Amino acid sequence: MSFRARLLLGFGAVVLVPLTVFGLRVRVVMTNRLTTEYQQRVAALASVIRADLDRQSAGIAQRLAALREAIAQDNKFRSAVVQQGGERSYLLDYAGDAMRLAGLSVLQIQDGTGRIVSSGHFRNEYDRSDPALPRLLAAAPEGTALVEARTAEASFLALARVDSLRVFGRLFTLVGGIPVDSSLLGRLTPDSELRVAVALPSDTASVADPAAQVVTSLDVPFVTAGDSARLLPARIVVSHSLASLTALRRGVALSFLVAVLVTGLIALLLASWLSTRISRPLTELAAKTADVDMDRLDVAFDSDRPDEIGALSRLLGAMTERLRAGAARLREAERRLAMGDLARQVNHDVKNGLIPIRNVFRHFAQAAGEGPDQLAAAFRDRQATVESSIAYLETLASNYARLYPQPARESCDVNAVVRETVKRVGETGQADLCLELAEALRPVRTDPLVLRRILENLIGNAVDSLAARAGNVTVSTGANGAAGVRITVADTGKGMTQEELNRAFDDFYTTKPGGTGLGLSIVRRLVLDANGTLRVETEPGAGSRFIVELPSEGA
Amino acid sequence: MIPRHRCVIFAALLAAACRAGAPRAELPLPPPAPARGDTSCTIAAGRAVARDTITFAVTDPVDPAHAPLPRNDAERLVFGQLYESLIRVDCQGRALAGLAATWQQATGDRWAFTLRDNARFWDGAPVTARDVLASWRSHDATLAADFTVTGDRTFTVPASAAPFQRLADQALAVTKPAPAGSWPIGTGRYWMTGGDPASPDVLVAQPMARAGYPVVKLATVPASAARDALDGEAGVLITDDPAALEYARTLPGYVDIPLEWNRTYVLLAPGRDKPVVGDLRLESLREAVRGDARPAEWSGPGRFWFTDLESCGVPAGRDTLGAAGRRRRIVYKQSDRSAADLAARLVGLGALGRGAVAAGVPPTAFESALRAGTDAAYVLELRRRVYDVCRTALELPPWISAATVAPLLDVRSHAVVRRGLPRMTLDWDGTLRLSPP
Repeated sequence: MSFRARLLLGFGAVVLVPLTVFGLRVRVVMTNRLTTEYQQRVAALASVIRADLDRQSAGIAQRLAALREAIAQDNKFRSAVVQQGGERSYLLDYAGDAMRLAGLSVLQIQDGTGRIVSSGHFRNEYDRSDPALPRLLAAAPEGTALVEARTAEASFLALARVDSLRVFGRLFTLVGGIPVDSSLLGRLTPDSELRVAVALPSDTASVADPAAQVVTSLDVPFVTAGDSARLLPARIVVSHSLASLTALRRGVALSFLVAVLVTGLIALLLASWLSTRISRPLTELAAKTADVDMDRLDVAFDSDRPDEIGALSRLLGAMTERLRAGAARLREAERRLAMGDLARQVNHDVKNGLIPIRNVFRHFAQAAGEGPDQLAAAFRDRQATVESSIAYLETLASNYARLYPQPARESCDVNAVVRETVKRVGETGQADLCLELAEALRPVRTDPLVLRRILENLIGNAVDSLAARAGNVTVSTGANGAAGVRITVADTGKGMTQEELNRAFDDFYTTKPGGTGLGLSIVRRLVLDANGTLRVETEPGAGSRFIVELPSEGA
Repeated sequence: MIPRHRCVIFAALLAAACRAGAPRAELPLPPPAPARGDTSCTIAAGRAVARDTITFAVTDPVDPAHAPLPRNDAERLVFGQLYESLIRVDCQGRALAGLAATWQQATGDRWAFTLRDNARFWDGAPVTARDVLASWRSHDATLAADFTVTGDRTFTVPASAAPFQRLADQALAVTKPAPAGSWPIGTGRYWMTGGDPASPDVLVAQPMARAGYPVVKLATVPASAARDALDGEAGVLITDDPAALEYARTLPGYVDIPLEWNRTYVLLAPGRDKPVVGDLRLESLREAVRGDARPAEWSGPGRFWFTDLESCGVPAGRDTLGAAGRRRRIVYKQSDRSAADLAARLVGLGALGRGAVAAGVPPTAFESALRAGTDAAYVLELRRRVYDVCRTALELPPWISAATVAPLLDVRSHAVVRRGLPRMTLDWDGTLRLSPP
């Protein structure tokens, strides 16, 4: 895992973990608070509903009392119930008119036997006997109970009470009530999230809505209908729709999730910025360090940073400086060693050239002592030897002279030199030469002759490496970054072993018959003198690639 | 001036005379000649005083689309002034001249009719035998099929087994369509001119001949405003509202004249398996309705016309749906208050058992429900007397032959008549007509 990735993870963990813990804690606190307030509200609501029911019951009782007084004063009613053949229609219509005037929805007047003498909510139910209803209502706690009031069209639930009066000594009961409908239940609770419903004893499920929760219930007696009428407990159930609470929780969870995501994203961006800011100098140092080698010790590690990165950079700069000095010393030592080797070689070579000459002169001296004829004969005999030695020395001199050219510094078009060199070498017809030249290549500042010599040697070696094998040599040019030019001479020849590669740039090391062993050595020195670098990529049997990188003009 | 109590006694005697001559179940055979009119079917409230205008106040709606066959008491009152059949049948069941002045037995077992000399449509065109044929064709193709025109004003029809009095049926009133498509053009003594510009809700009928007939205004008022009509200028109020009748009795200027028991409420239940009202105390039904009612009874020979329809060729049907397939409700026409009361009383008495309900539906929906027969029972109002049983039977639902019909109540309306109004006559079917001056 990279240093930057570790930084990212670290920042993320530092930000997200506390944020998550905080959010969860807020959620728990909020839920507890909501639950507490909800329970308090429900408790208050139950009291309000009970008070409302009591108030409704009291209202019914007041209206029944008023009706009782009115009936007692109504002579027509008295006449209808006392005298046979009285105004029967007046009696039958009486409860309906009285019910509407009193604001009731249920009014039933029954005689002492329980026979309905007048019904307001079901006018034509007269003469039906229902003695149990007033008796059970009178026995109900608080005198109030739920009853199922019947009309011709349907039945409805009513909250009813009973009152009674005597007319001419005969007992009459008044059963009055109001409908327990959605309007009344809705008035019991002003909270739209709470639902009030009546659960009768016959109801199996008190709350039909699965998304609702029963929060409280109030017991109310219920008078069952039919022949076996009796008082049974019913309930007024207050349920709370969980939809809004679920929506609230979902909203909170969503907000929390969004907050975590946004904060996490911000944290990641911040962490990314910070890690980049921290790791970038290290990355740059690593890149610079990767560029350092014995041929490239001019990498700058200057830094003004006062921190550890700056110190590290300066240390690397100092180390590079020491390497540069060491490399210079090493190069000087190598040069001196090479010069020594060369001097010894020159000494050896010159001596080798002089030895025949000395022997010839000794022969001439001996022959001169023996007479002019002998000298002439000896001269004729040894002239070839002398000329051969002189030629040898001349060749030797030429060879050595080529070791130290005097390069010029001028703007040089690399592609033009490459074309010219390839053309000249290609005229020999020894191999196929391919050109891959980059366009708009920046010129380099060097001696075109030096560049040509570099190319002649590299291309010549490449052609030689092909020997009798079929293959080709490719010369390509290209930009080396923004401030350099790269020249590549690649062949498909025999390549080099590691041992050959290690000694490839040594003077006088050659694997070619008749080779001087100075070609690559000269190339290396010429490239270094042009402030360039030379690299080799080779594989035995597959070929070699010699890569020359030269600084562009003005770089 | 005639003392008030004498007027009341006189009116009561007239009403009693009408009731005493209550129609019989079966009409008598046709007399060889038109009966001469007498006063036994005359309604009068004191001495008649000539007047220019009479206002009829009715509480039922009047729909020109129903003309000439009335559907309620209000339409019966109005159409009776506007349209004529060949003959009339008075409250005693006697045939009287109508559009036909005379008739006689003709050869070939036919009846020959001669139209009234001065019979004219509202537009002034004389009424011819071909007009009668054209009108019948539009109402009763069977009767018109063997119609023979023998002259401009004479024609013959086959003498059938059906009562001769059926020719008094308002469905056979001679009309021709109006160009504007409103009131059909009739031949009665009055023609409908349209609304009163001063009172858009009031219809005005002008007399065809200014021979002492007053202009008739027809005001349709809601039942709750019936008393307002009495306090206004209503000359005749046709109503069954007990409050209005009770109020009218307190007014010295009016006489309450009960009309005939001309309607019967029945409980019509598909299927003949089990009587719906078998053990119920139907005698208490009379108290269930607000209007004037009595237990349904047929005092003459025979039975109610709707209980014996086999002679009309109605095949005996079979109930295929069964009780289980029907909704346990007693359906009634929502606008019929007496039907609602009766349905409620039947539910209160436990008809159809516990859990059954009464259901009021709008008139159009009631017709559909009645025709479908998918409910347990229906409360509907039927005409108590009909001239042509078989034709009227066509108005009943098609499953009538496989149904149980239980007569519940007879009801009637009252005519509250202002004193001094022209005399009126009462026909056998309860139609009131202004008598000639």
